[in-house]
Amino acid sequence: MRKILEADDLEMVYQSSGGVAVNALRGVTLHVEEGEFLAIMGPSGCGKSTLLHLLGGLLTPTSGRILVDGEDMTAATDARRTDIRRRKIGFVFQRFNLFPTLTAEGNLRLAERIHAGSGGKDAPERRREVLKLLKLEDKMARKPIELSGGEQQRVALARAVVTHPAIVLADEPTGNLDTENSAIVLNMFQEMNYRFNQTIIMITHNPEAAAMCRRIVQMRDGQIVASAAPVQI
Amino acid sequence: MESLVLANIRQRPVRALVSAAGVALGVCLVMLFTGLTRGMSNDLHRRSSNIRAEIIFTRPGSNEMLSSGAQLSVRYAELLREIEGVESAVPSIRYISQGGRGFGYEQIEGVDWEPFARMNGMRLVSGRPPVGLDEVVIDETKARNNSVEAGGTLRLFGDLPYKVVGVYTPEAGPRVKMSLAAMQDAMERPDRCTWIYVKAREGVGEEELARRITSEPRMEGNKIQFTRDVFTNVEKSIPYLGVFLRTLVVLSAVVSALVVMLAMYTTITERTREIGVLKALGASRGYIVGVIEKEAAVISLLGLAAGFLVSLAAGYLIHRVYGLMFEYSLAWAATAAGIGLLGGVLGALYPAVRAANLDPVNALSYE
Repeated sequence: MRKILEADDLEMVYQSSGGVAVNALRGVTLHVEEGEFLAIMGPSGCGKSTLLHLLGGLLTPTSGRILVDGEDMTAATDARRTDIRRRKIGFVFQRFNLFPTLTAEGNLRLAERIHAGSGGKDAPERRREVLKLLKLEDKMARKPIELSGGEQQRVALARAVVTHPAIVLADEPTGNLDTENSAIVLNMFQEMNYRFNQTIIMITHNPEAAAMCRRIVQMRDGQIVASAAPVQI
Repeated sequence: MESLVLANIRQRPVRALVSAAGVALGVCLVMLFTGLTRGMSNDLHRRSSNIRAEIIFTRPGSNEMLSSGAQLSVRYAELLREIEGVESAVPSIRYISQGGRGFGYEQIEGVDWEPFARMNGMRLVSGRPPVGLDEVVIDETKARNNSVEAGGTLRLFGDLPYKVVGVYTPEAGPRVKMSLAAMQDAMERPDRCTWIYVKAREGVGEEELARRITSEPRMEGNKIQFTRDVFTNVEKSIPYLGVFLRTLVVLSAVVSALVVMLAMYTTITERTREIGVLKALGASRGYIVGVIEKEAAVISLLGLAAGFLVSLAAGYLIHRVYGLMFEYSLAWAATAAGIGLLGGVLGALYPAVRAANLDPVNALSYE
């Protein structure tokens, strides 16, 4: 299988407000294959979110290298990193982070417009396919406030995948959902992974959610301490 | 297509309206002041152009169109008529007082009707010439603005009642005219006038006539001015009016820019998390600046539209109530539009750049 993501020997040192250096990541190496559905687990403060932000190009590592679909994120300028993020990465957040002033469709179209840039074209087929898969066709005219938490997260997922990114990075996507809606959203993630061969990297505290993934990466104190199939973990 | 820009404006309509009102205020300031200046200047020009006397004979030190003095002896009129080439010489007192409705100023002219009307091709459309000390004639515009006809009353010199005995056309000089004797009586300046209108005979050039007058020893110590120079436009005759107008334009731009900047600064503070999401979606700095600038531009356009509408309405109302003339020019309208739009866009630039430079991780965790 082709490697879609290669993160090698990542170090991340923060300067705290008191001027103390905090080692958030200590030599993390993670390779992800195309179409993989991977969970990152670990206690709070172990560096999961920092790793996800680095993989998504929202942060720059203190040292180490990240290749996304063959493109080096760490050597890139901020503008170049933004461009790689625009073309290759989709984000799903715990708090959904939909634009409250836009309808569900408006949120999707905004992501499409940003993805397409100035010369991009509308892709209604892809949008219809995603909406059908996520069972959102009849919710498109609604604003986020008119949707349930589960529906909002499905819209957020649709927004992340509608542009066909190489990788979807999800930061505790079920953290704000009840059990029923968590199950629905996780099934959707699985479906997206299965139907579109969508690579997904998901942070979760939920062992049941992690069990639906093909691989679980466990972190502790800024390091990966285990990486294996759920049954082995 | 649903737009983030329009959706954001719709979400905070009051803020958008207040911001637009700030831009509208700047536009109104520019439009009303320049419209008033231009309207009054053109009105003065129109009225002055109907005075056919080529020369104004007066005393040195008189204040051109803003004169209320009467220092010149009317005897000079007789002396002027004796000079070859002078067709007629008509003494006049011009009195300037506060506008009848407490706004602006009003001019009243004391001049003997018959020679003045003959000199300038004027006629009465109703009534008769002013003869008594408490009689005036007015032009058609004054009659229309004040809803007064022959037989009505005007209150002048503070609150003194004057009978309107006639309405004349075309408008020429001050809209209210009384006899020279009546004005001399009112000002307690018998045998005096502000200046003497001098009309040249046909075929005699004004320069030549002026030379003949100044070469006459009995005219020594007085001043000759050409009518075209005396009744120049308001912008030129009021010192620093141009500077004032340009200052006003700059202030308008600053007002627009500050209001929009404040609104957009508040907006981006409120939408910090959304800006973080835009960054996570891969929006470039340029895209984020563009979204905020477009929002400011839409608000500015709303302000421009409101500003022009309010200016037109205010100009119309002020004209109806106070009789002041407004004439808007395309050039000043374009300037006002440019100021409003530029002020809005520049005002939004700092908040926009600040938003574009936000750290995405911090922005996403903003509460």
